[in-house]
Amino acid sequence: MRQRHVFGTVFTLESAVAGLVFLVVLGLLTWVVVERRTQEASDRTERPRVEAFYVAALAAFAVFLVAWTAWQNSREPRTAVVRPLRVDVTGFQWCWTFAYPQSPAHRQVTGDCHGRSLPTLVVPAGRPVQLRLTSRDVIHSLWVPALRYKMDAFPRHVNTFTLTLDHEGRWRGRCAEFCGQRHYAMDFWIKAVPPERYDRWAHGAAAAV
Amino acid sequence: MTVAPPAARRDGAGRPVPPGSWLGWVSSTDHKRIGLLTVGTSLVLLLVFGVFALLMRTQLARPDETFLAAQAYDQLFTLHGSGMIYMVMTPFALGMGVYLVPLQIGAPGIALPRLTLLGYWLYALGALTMLAGFAAPAGAHAGGWFSYPPLADSAYSPGAGTDLWIAGVFVAVTGTILMGWAVLWTVLRRRTRGMTMLRLPVFCWAMIATCLMVIGAFPALLAALTLLAVGRADASVFLHNTWNIGYQHIFWFYGHPVVYVMFFPYLAAVAEVLAVFSGRRFFGYRGTALSLLVFAALSMSVWGHHMFATGQVANDYYSLTSIALLVPAGVEYFGMLGTLLGGRLRATTPMLFALAFLPQFLIGGLTGIMVGTPVIDYHVTDSYFVVAHLHYVLFAGSAFGLFAAVYFWFPKVTGTRLDDRMGRWHFWLLVIGTNLTFLPMFALGYLGMPRRVSTYAPFDGFGALNLLATIGAGFLAAGMAVFVVNVLATLRRCSLGRARPAGDDPWQAHTLEWATTSPPPRLNFPADRPLPPVTSFAPLLDLRRRERSGA
Repeated sequence: MRQRHVFGTVFTLESAVAGLVFLVVLGLLTWVVVERRTQEASDRTERPRVEAFYVAALAAFAVFLVAWTAWQNSREPRTAVVRPLRVDVTGFQWCWTFAYPQSPAHRQVTGDCHGRSLPTLVVPAGRPVQLRLTSRDVIHSLWVPALRYKMDAFPRHVNTFTLTLDHEGRWRGRCAEFCGQRHYAMDFWIKAVPPERYDRWAHGAAAAV
Repeated sequence: MTVAPPAARRDGAGRPVPPGSWLGWVSSTDHKRIGLLTVGTSLVLLLVFGVFALLMRTQLARPDETFLAAQAYDQLFTLHGSGMIYMVMTPFALGMGVYLVPLQIGAPGIALPRLTLLGYWLYALGALTMLAGFAAPAGAHAGGWFSYPPLADSAYSPGAGTDLWIAGVFVAVTGTILMGWAVLWTVLRRRTRGMTMLRLPVFCWAMIATCLMVIGAFPALLAALTLLAVGRADASVFLHNTWNIGYQHIFWFYGHPVVYVMFFPYLAAVAEVLAVFSGRRFFGYRGTALSLLVFAALSMSVWGHHMFATGQVANDYYSLTSIALLVPAGVEYFGMLGTLLGGRLRATTPMLFALAFLPQFLIGGLTGIMVGTPVIDYHVTDSYFVVAHLHYVLFAGSAFGLFAAVYFWFPKVTGTRLDDRMGRWHFWLLVIGTNLTFLPMFALGYLGMPRRVSTYAPFDGFGALNLLATIGAGFLAAGMAVFVVNVLATLRRCSLGRARPAGDDPWQAHTLEWATTSPPPRLNFPADRPLPPVTSFAPLLDLRRRERSGA
C-alpha cells in the first residue's frame, strides 16, 4: 500500500530500538538477580559523568526520532498532487455514507451496518482519492487497519486526507471512536477496482463493482 | 429550651479523647487514619472495578458472545476505566502520601489535617455517587472515562447515570486536590530539624512532583466536567465544533498529568524498596529528584498526543514534547538499575514486585514512545494496542508498585508482616496473568480490533488472542483472591493478638518512618525516643553505619 509505507519504516525502526532497550534492561536485571546476591553492596552514590553522557545520548535520540518521523510523515502527502477524486464520507449512529460529488450519476452509498449489509467505499486503484470526513451526530473515527491509518469524523467539521490504493482489493474499515451502542458493528468495506470499472460505475452503470 | 452539648470525654490531662470504633476513624484528624481510610477504600474499589474487568473479559472470550448486552458492556468499561483512574490509582497514590510523608520527614502530623479528612470524605462520596449510576433507570454512564461530547451530552446520553458520573467524578477529584495541597504543604513546611530538601527520601520528592501536577492539572478536569454539565443543560453548546474539540483539549490537559500522578508515587515506592533490599543507598538520587520535577513540568505540555487523529492539533509539536519525556524517564531507570547493579539483593516479596515493575513498566514506556509518534499512532490509537499500552503502564507498572508498597509498609502500619508464601503465590499468579492478558492485546490492536467494542465477528480472526487474554484474566483473579485472603487473615491474626510482631524495622530500611514503633503512635514518634539525626536521605542507613564502625 503506497499510502502508508511510512508506517512500516517507522514502526520497524521503533520496534527494533524498543526491543533492544528491553533486552538490555532484562539482561541487566537477570545478571543482577543471579550475581548480586552474595557480593558486598557498593558505596558509590552517583556517577555524574556517566549520567551526563547518558542524558545527552537520550536527548539526541529523542530529537532524532521526532525529526526523522516528522520528515518521513511530511513526505507522504506530496506523492498525491494530481487532481484527486473526491469522496464525502459521513459517519452517523451507526453506519457510514459515501457520496461521490464528482460522479455524473451522483453516486451515494450507504447502509445500516446490520448483519452483512455493510456499505462499500469504492475507489479506483492507482488514483489519488481525497476523503472529506465529517459526522452527522457524535464523533466517529474512520479506520482502515490494512492501510494503517485512521482519522476522526467530527460533527460540523471536515477533516480531509488523501490516499492512493496502488492495487485492487477489498479491505475492512471500522469505527474506532466509541460512539454508542452499536459502535462495535459500524464496519464498512473499502474496495479498489480498476479505473475503467470505477468510471463505468460512476456514470451509473448498474453492474455491481 | 436549651440543649446541653454532649460532653466530650476527657483523659486525665484534660484533653478530649477521640471517639472509638468507626466514628473515631471517619472523624480522625490523624493523617495515618486518613491515609489508611483512603488506601483501604481504594483497595476495596480496586476489587469492585476488577470484577467489572472480569465480566468484560468473559464477554470478549469468544466471538459473537452474548453473555453481556452491549448496553451493559458499555457501562462496565466506562465505570472500570473511570473507577480505576479516578477512584483507585489516584486516591491510593495520594493516600500513601498522606500516610507516609509526615512520617518520612519526621513530622508529628500532616499540615491541614481537617482539609485532608474533608478530601477523603469527598473522595468516598464521589465514588459512591458514581457507582449509584447503576441504580438509575437507564443504568450507569456509558461514554468512556474521557466522555467526549457530543456523545456525553443530554441528546445522546439522556440518562441520570451520566449526571451522577459527572457529579461523582467532580466531587472525588475535588477531594483529591485537597489531599494534594495538604501533602505538598506538609513536605514543604513540616520537615524536622536537619531534613533539608536534598535529604528528603525519594518518595517525598515523588510526592512533591505528584502534588504539583495534582494542583496544576486537576482543576482542568473540574473545568471539563463543568463544561459537560453546562452542555447537558443546554444541548446547543455542543453544536459547535469549538466546544467539542475544546473539551478534548481541557480534558487532556488534566488527562496526561494524571497518568504520572498514577505513576510517580508507585515508582518511588519501588525505588525505596529496591534501595532497601539492595542493602545500599539509592543511586543517582539528585538526578532522580531533578528528573521527577522535569517530568512533571513536561507532562503539562504533551496533552495533544491524545488527539493526533482529530486532525485539529499540531501533531509534530506534541510528538516532540511527548518523546522528550524519554529523557527524564531514562534518568529514573538509570537510578534504579544503578542501585541494583551495586547492591546485595534480598528476594523478599516486596522486592519481587519491585523487580517485576522494571521490565513490565518498560514495555508500557517503550510502546508509549511508539504511540507518541504520530505515524504509528494513526494506526494504533483507539485500538487494543492502546489498551495494552495503558495497562502495561497502569497495571504491569503502577499496580505492581502498589503491591510492592503494600507488602513493604504493611508491617509498619499494622505491626505484622503479610504472609510471605501467599505473597509469592500472589506475585507469580499476577506476573503470569498480567502478561497473558495484556501482551496479546498489542497484537489484537495491530490486527485491527478497535477498543470499546462489546463483541466481534468470528471472521475477524480475533478469537484466539482474546481467549488467551481472558485466560490471563483468570490468573489475575486467582492472584487477587490470594492477596485478599492474605490481607484478611493477617488482619484477623492482628486483631486476635496472635500475630508475630514485626518489630520497628523488619527490613533494615533507610527512612525515618522505620525509626518509630509499628504501628506509629498518635503523634508519630514516641516522646521518649529521640529521632535519629537526619544526615542524608537515608538516615537509618547512616545510623547503622556509624554504630557498626563504633563511632
